[in-house]
Amino acid sequence: MSFYKKYQSIIIASILIIASIIILSLNLKQFGRVSFLRKLVLEAAAPLEKVVNSTIEGISGIWERHVFLVELEEENRRLRNKIVFLTKEINRYREVSLEGVRLKKLLALKEGIDYPTVAARVIGRNRSSVFKMILINRGTTDGVKVGSPVLTDKGIIGRIIETSWNVSRVLLLVDYNSNVDALIQGNRARGVLQGRGSKGCSLRYVQRSEEVKVGDTVISSGLARVFPKGLLLGTVKKVEKKKFGLFQEIEVAPAVDFSRLEEVLVILTDVIDQPQRH
Amino acid sequence: MIYYLLLPVFSLLLIVFQTTVLDLFFLGKIGLEVSLILVVYAGFHLDIMKGGVLSLILGFFLDCVTGGVTGFFTFIYVAVFFLSKIVSLRIYAEGIAFIMCFTFICIFSEGIITVLIYKFICGADMSYNILRVFLPQALVAGVLSPAFFAIFERLEVLLNVEGRK
Repeated sequence: MSFYKKYQSIIIASILIIASIIILSLNLKQFGRVSFLRKLVLEAAAPLEKVVNSTIEGISGIWERHVFLVELEEENRRLRNKIVFLTKEINRYREVSLEGVRLKKLLALKEGIDYPTVAARVIGRNRSSVFKMILINRGTTDGVKVGSPVLTDKGIIGRIIETSWNVSRVLLLVDYNSNVDALIQGNRARGVLQGRGSKGCSLRYVQRSEEVKVGDTVISSGLARVFPKGLLLGTVKKVEKKKFGLFQEIEVAPAVDFSRLEEVLVILTDVIDQPQRH
Repeated sequence: MIYYLLLPVFSLLLIVFQTTVLDLFFLGKIGLEVSLILVVYAGFHLDIMKGGVLSLILGFFLDCVTGGVTGFFTFIYVAVFFLSKIVSLRIYAEGIAFIMCFTFICIFSEGIITVLIYKFICGADMSYNILRVFLPQALVAGVLSPAFFAIFERLEVLLNVEGRK
C-alpha cells in the first residue's frame, strides 16, 4: 500500500501511456476493423454533429436573409418580409424540384449498376483541411460494409472505411489515404489515383512512355475489385515529365465536387466481380 | 466521482463543437484545437489521475470523430498531458508568455508527428501542410491559449473540480 502511495503518479502515468500505445499499435495492425466503443462514440456523435451543422446552416441562412432588413423603414420591411416569404417558398419548391432531379439521376445510376445498392444522405462532413471524409445516414443495418464503393451520378466519390449500425464514414477520393486503381480512358494507360487533399488527386505510376494529355478522362480500372470498372474518376489537369525517373507526374481534377455532396449511392458488395458488362 | 461520470459527456460535446463550429472560423482552413489546449491546462492544474483520464478520453473521442487511426490522438494527448505535468512541476507555468509558447510547441509538434506518421505508415506526403496548416494552427492556438486558460479556470471553479494541484 505504501509502495502504491509512494509511486502513485509514476504508476498511473505508466498505465495510461502503455494503454494508449497498446490501443495505437492494435489499431495499426487491424486497420479497418471498427471496435464496439468506437461505434458507440460514432453513434453518439452523429446526431450531435447533425444538430450543430443544421443550426449553423440555419443561422447563416437567417443572417443572409434577414439581418439586413433590421434597419429598413416599416413599410419597406413589410414589403421585404413578403418578398423573403415568397422567396423562401420559391426556394423550397426549387429545393424539392432539384432534389427530385438529383434523386432521378441517382435512380438512373442505380438501375445501371448490376449490384445491389442503397441511396444515402450526407449528414456530416469533416471540415478539417487534412481529413477528407463524410458521414452518411446508412450503416450495417442497411447492408453497408467497410470497403463498399460510394458513387454519385457524376462518378466515384470514395469508399466506406467505417460503419456503425446507422451511420457510415466515407473516405473521399481526395483524402491522403485514398488509392484507386485507374485507367486513362483514351490510351488505357494504368496508374493509381491517389488523394492529395485540397490539391485534388494525382495519378501515379504511369509509365513515362505513355502519351497523356490535359483533359484526358480518368476512369476506374476495376482491377483491385473494389470499384466497378469504367466509372468516372476525373480529368487530367496537368502532366509533367521530369528529366529522370520511370514515371510521369499527373494531376487529376476529380469529377465530383465534394463540397456539394447531398445524396450518394452505396454499392452493397465488398468485392466487385470482374469482368462485368463494361 | 461526478467528475468521471460527466467527463465523457462534456468531452464528446467539446470534440463535436471543435470539429464542427470551431473549424468554421478561418474559413475552415485552420482548425482551433481547444481540446489540446485543455490537455495542456490539465497538465498545469489538475492532478495526475483526473488529468490523465481527461486526456485519454479526449484523445479517444477525437480519434473516433475525425476518423483517424484509433490511438493516434489518444497517445499524443496522454503524452502532452504528462509532458505538461512534468514541466509544471519544474517551472513556474502561470506566465502568459510561457503558456502561449508551450501550447504553440505542443500543437506544432502534434502536426509534425501527424506528417511523420502519414509519411512512414501510410506513405502519403503531407509535408506541404506544415507551413500551410499546422504552423498557423499552432500560432493561433498559442495566441488564444491564455484566454482559454482563463475560461477553463472559471469552469473549474464553477464545477468545483477537486484534485487541483
